[in-house]
Amino acid sequence: MFMSKIKLGLLISWPTFWTGFTIKMVFCLLLLAAHMHPWEGEGFFLLLLVSIPIDIWALGLCARTVFIDRLKVDPEPGIGLKLWIRWAVFSAIALPLIKIVVSGVTGVAKSVTSNIVHSFKESIYPTLGVAEQISIELVMWGTVSTVVLILCILGWLYGLGWLAQPFVRNAKPLGGTEEERANFWDGLRIPADQSLFLTALTGTGVVLVFVFWTLLPSTTPHPHEEYEFISKGPKEEKVEPKKVLKEAEKVLAKAELVIKKLEEEKSGESKDSKKPPIEEQADKGVTTEKAK
Amino acid sequence: MQQDPQPVNQPNPFEKVVEFIDERVGLKNIQAKMLNEPIPGGSRWAYAFGSVLLFIFILQVVTGILLMFYYVPSTDHAYDSTQYIIHEVDYGWFLLSYHFWGSSAMVVMVFAHMSQVFLWGAYKKPRELVWLVGLALFGIVMGFGFTGYLLPWDQRAYWATVVGVEIMDKTPIIGDFMARFLKGGPTPGQMTLSRFFVIHVMVLPAALAGLAGLHIFLFRKAGPAGPFRGTPDEIKAKTDYFFPRQIWKDIVAMACVFLIICSLAFIEPVVLLQQATPDPGDYHPEPEWYFLFLFQLLRLKMFGGELGQLMGAMVLPGAFMAFLAALPFIDTKPERNLFKRPVALVGWIAVMVFILIFTVSAIINREFLH
Repeated sequence: MFMSKIKLGLLISWPTFWTGFTIKMVFCLLLLAAHMHPWEGEGFFLLLLVSIPIDIWALGLCARTVFIDRLKVDPEPGIGLKLWIRWAVFSAIALPLIKIVVSGVTGVAKSVTSNIVHSFKESIYPTLGVAEQISIELVMWGTVSTVVLILCILGWLYGLGWLAQPFVRNAKPLGGTEEERANFWDGLRIPADQSLFLTALTGTGVVLVFVFWTLLPSTTPHPHEEYEFISKGPKEEKVEPKKVLKEAEKVLAKAELVIKKLEEEKSGESKDSKKPPIEEQADKGVTTEKAK
Repeated sequence: MQQDPQPVNQPNPFEKVVEFIDERVGLKNIQAKMLNEPIPGGSRWAYAFGSVLLFIFILQVVTGILLMFYYVPSTDHAYDSTQYIIHEVDYGWFLLSYHFWGSSAMVVMVFAHMSQVFLWGAYKKPRELVWLVGLALFGIVMGFGFTGYLLPWDQRAYWATVVGVEIMDKTPIIGDFMARFLKGGPTPGQMTLSRFFVIHVMVLPAALAGLAGLHIFLFRKAGPAGPFRGTPDEIKAKTDYFFPRQIWKDIVAMACVFLIICSLAFIEPVVLLQQATPDPGDYHPEPEWYFLFLFQLLRLKMFGGELGQLMGAMVLPGAFMAFLAALPFIDTKPERNLFKRPVALVGWIAVMVFILIFTVSAIINREFLH
């Protein structure tokens, strides 16, 4: 059965991405819970390492599905690994190139459209609003970038399809009806002991959930600058008995002077104007005994 | 040789319990109806959106209830209790961030689900009512986003609500009443918070649960539409039951979405701004990301002035929603193949491009404000 190289590349790569994605996401989440970023440093290295077997398995599964279901042929054993090596080498060269091309074109398109719109604004339509200007520029450079991106992706998919085609040529044709082919494929991929498979899957899930909650920080890793933690409680001050006693004596002296002054006022005694105010005397550290 | 008096297949305790319940409620009948639903053309990943939506909603309810144990819906304590959830409650930051990103995931999934139904032509006869109830559910999900946004009572929450209520105020006839009803006073305050809280945790969940039940009932009554391509014989040959293939696809899709939401909760957890005040200060009011395209649209000069704002904020979105509601009654041709419905395909692409351009424009526009 004939199939274009782009379609073949897309039909295998798209489900492969999603098949591996969920499993990789589990690993990403565990890394995040363990304070490691999956996109940099050790986290990235670990993710890359884990992704290799996942991708090989997912590629084998999805490629086989396309071969049996769509192309009606049975591919040679070990197609996952063989195809993965080819695709990995090709993508390691093609994807960085696509990134360079698309970002380069986007940069040039942004600067050209900005100049065009600015000159249009200055010479023809000076009252052009900011919102309108942003949208016009976005549509102009966005169209160029999108077209270049789509062309690059089509080229990449063509490459993937081209690399997969030898496997189609070498595959054994499958006869029978659609139902028979579906049963054949089901027999190959669905585990013979389904109870064991489900138990293993559930067990793995329980272990992963346990690991996740163990790693998960109980308080936020992004505290608010102005938030005062309640659980820390009030700041504890070191108690110095001598200092506390001295402070207490000061307070008592001040209180005694106030009482004395009040008694004097009450009994109608004359007021000495040269005498400093009571608070001043107390503040100078007059002790209870001295006051007496 | 002596015969064993014990019968060979004696039911175990679990089977006895199942039997007991089955005799009283018809458990096996319900199970058969739930799992043995035929899916024309076989299971598809594209059919998983509805199940994923239900899954997200259930988790939103669970996380929402857990958050309510600590949240205090008063202007004096809403901000502090939210900060307390983030900083003091064990795993509170994660639950709140999950709840926050879960609401965005619901909007994305509603959009994906509606797009799938539209592109598959699954709104056509006899599924008009399923489509209409789905539209109402879309409105409820948007309502959840709008009312929940105010609850943390920070500057972002306060000003997004001010902008939202101002837009609502522009609706002819009922706009003024709606705005006054929601605010409960001249400016957002305690009454606003109380009303938004009650709507968010009582009215909308009840409405959503009821309508979602009706949606599923109507869907099961009409049956799945199936693929839009292929002869009836081909579709019949590929027809499969809901269990196990579609259930497996649904579970994988749910796991995928769950993992994405959890990762977002880690990468961008909820961090509050300053406590809400009637003075915006340096903060530039902005609605939630899924309303950004509309917000940016209103910045265009053609939508300036009272009339322009009314057109941009109410007439255009209202007309679009009215068009969607009328769609099954306008497009009565039985043809469902997307590639034989060029107007539908081009129209959908145009709407997507429009939303994308104005959302990105709103993000670029932030640079001009600072």
